[in-house]
Amino acid sequence: MRLSRRGLLRAGLAGTAATALGGLASGCAVPTGSTGRNMVLWYWDGGLGDTVVRKAKARYEAHVDLQAIKIGGYYRSKLLTTMTGRAHIPDIAGLKGEDMASYLPDADQFVDLRTLGADTYKSRYLPWKWEQGLADDGTMVGFPIDCGPVAHLYQYSVFQKAGLPYEPDDVSRELNTWEKFFAAGEQLRRRIPGTCLLTDITSVFTNVVQQGSKRYVDKDRHFIGDQAHVRDAWALAVEAKQRRIVSDLVTGTPDQLSAVQDGKLPSQLGASWATYDLKSGVPKTKGKWRVAQMPVRPSNNGGSFLSITKACREPEQAFRIITWILNAANQAQGYVDAGLFPSTPATYDMRQLREPDPFFGGQVTTDVFGPAAQKIVVAYNSPYDVALSQPILDEIKNVGVLGKDPEKAWSDAMGKCRRIAKHLGVSY
Amino acid sequence: MATALEKPAPTVESLPAGRPRTGLRRYWHLYAAISPFYLLFLCFGLIPVGFSLYVSLHRWDGLGSMEWAGLSQYRYLLSDSDFWQSVGNTIVIWALATFPMIFLAMVTAVMLNSAVRFKNVYRFAYFLPNVTSVVAVAIVFGSVFSTNFGLVNALLQAVGLDQVAWLNTPWGIKIAIATLMTWQWTGYNAIIFLAGLQTIPSELYEAARMDGAGPVQTFFRITLPMLRPVLLFVLVVSTVTGLQSFSEPQVLLQNTANESTFSGGPGHAGRTMVLYFFQQTFDNNDFGYGAAVAWGVFLVVILFSIINWRLVQRRGED
Repeated sequence: MRLSRRGLLRAGLAGTAATALGGLASGCAVPTGSTGRNMVLWYWDGGLGDTVVRKAKARYEAHVDLQAIKIGGYYRSKLLTTMTGRAHIPDIAGLKGEDMASYLPDADQFVDLRTLGADTYKSRYLPWKWEQGLADDGTMVGFPIDCGPVAHLYQYSVFQKAGLPYEPDDVSRELNTWEKFFAAGEQLRRRIPGTCLLTDITSVFTNVVQQGSKRYVDKDRHFIGDQAHVRDAWALAVEAKQRRIVSDLVTGTPDQLSAVQDGKLPSQLGASWATYDLKSGVPKTKGKWRVAQMPVRPSNNGGSFLSITKACREPEQAFRIITWILNAANQAQGYVDAGLFPSTPATYDMRQLREPDPFFGGQVTTDVFGPAAQKIVVAYNSPYDVALSQPILDEIKNVGVLGKDPEKAWSDAMGKCRRIAKHLGVSY
Repeated sequence: MATALEKPAPTVESLPAGRPRTGLRRYWHLYAAISPFYLLFLCFGLIPVGFSLYVSLHRWDGLGSMEWAGLSQYRYLLSDSDFWQSVGNTIVIWALATFPMIFLAMVTAVMLNSAVRFKNVYRFAYFLPNVTSVVAVAIVFGSVFSTNFGLVNALLQAVGLDQVAWLNTPWGIKIAIATLMTWQWTGYNAIIFLAGLQTIPSELYEAARMDGAGPVQTFFRITLPMLRPVLLFVLVVSTVTGLQSFSEPQVLLQNTANESTFSGGPGHAGRTMVLYFFQQTFDNNDFGYGAAVAWGVFLVVILFSIINWRLVQRRGED
């Protein structure tokens, strides 16, 4: 066969066309979910314990090929586009806690876990956490992975030097109201000049709101961000600023980390996972920290879920895998692997959670986080909370960092909320 | 080629009369050869663009069903002070970044053009920032501009000036972002200017020298006018990329606190248009409004491209 230039061109074209057509044809046959044999699990780095995932693969090998894929980048947008594209939808999808409220209105895209017998597991999980995985009509979308009880992390020797209570039990008992907490901050600044108790005003505001049972929008799609629970949190945050117990540094910046390292910012209201940020951010402070209960009552920050999508062909099998991955023993492993604080109270007494933590001077941190996790109140999280809390969070930050007049900031925030509420169809 | 000689190749004349071959039938293989780009563009360019227009006329949370909203998203956009603030931020940052960048790129190009030794080393070095990941660059710049330990404040203090809380004040934020963008794009544009410089015939320079023009005069009378098309290209590209800045403010101003990574720092001073679009879409779940913001961005970019084009073009006609 002779090869002319034209012949080559034709052959190349035909080949390209065939590939393109083939691609199109197979494009039509893209699987929307898996076959029963393949099962795809989407999560993110640190979303589940690696050991647990590996064990789950081996355990269910006889029935399914469990493909656990870590999705990098902006997880939620990738999951949404895949689900909207109706192709290659994972069978089991991790859902991040902060996104949970926004998935719930679309509960019909997921398998209602109650239909698979989830209720029999309910008593083993934290009730408020279980509640967060339920849509308004009771459909159960998410099965609890972990939670993020918030506690008061502080530097032992700095507190001692400032003449404040410094043993964890004493700190928990004596700094149990915001008033006492702020007074301690003032004493700290007097005794050790240049020191602030907390990094920013936002940590006071968000934690006070999260301690309560109400957020920004209620079940009836009504804006409640102008009510007492938010106003009180705002007032406390402004008070923290006026009593000068918060710095004007930004969390996570080199400036803030060095201040933390030097003991200039000896306190944080941090969730259980924040201990890992401390360990990686300021490793030199090892042994200086202790954990105590935060003022008033614990709040929650973070914690995610596993769900089964409608594209899953074998929901029963998927449910067996989920409940195994998230049983009490494996949650203990998840705590060791990735610092996921268990949502199963039975785990709190297990050996893995009773290890003294040298970073916290040998304290068993579960003694604080465990009881805290059990005291968190049930709150209703609306899909509109993010949009309608943003102006308030922005303005409190302006008060904290730019020194904006609190009165003006509040009325600006409310003005913006009114507009956004109207736009989103939330009654004001 | 023997067979081809025996059988004459079919020509237009040899076809039956009344059935002239149309352009499409005659050149189909040529169209086919250029089609991959158009097919890909259709798939990943035009269809998404069309779809975003469709989405912008609805209320949609990205997952559930869409609800017809008519033009209400656009009406809201027009009255949305946050959007207009983001337009203002973007333009200020763009101007702060682009004009110094073009000046520096031009100077660099002229120097590169006259450099004799290590030419390629310089070119490579100047191009490097452009192929470095923005995220990595932004993290480095974040520490360069940090308040107590940043390089910039160390320099300021060395010459006896006060510290500036760069990433905590509205103007500081804008300058930090603009500096990052300038650093990143100067080399790239210098290479483009350099390519332009090398197309200018050397006879022109010789003639100018004969007429007694100095280097400055030569630059303004010959180099600059000859570079006008290249300048236009650089301006338009910088405008389009500068007005779509996203990663720079996002990474520079994100923090680990419990808040949006798209808020653009204190007072939203670094919230650009695309950042705002992202926040509306993916933080607030408001895909319909997000799409409308994206179209707002599109219109602003078009407007600026037209202004650029007119400015550079008109001067050419004089």
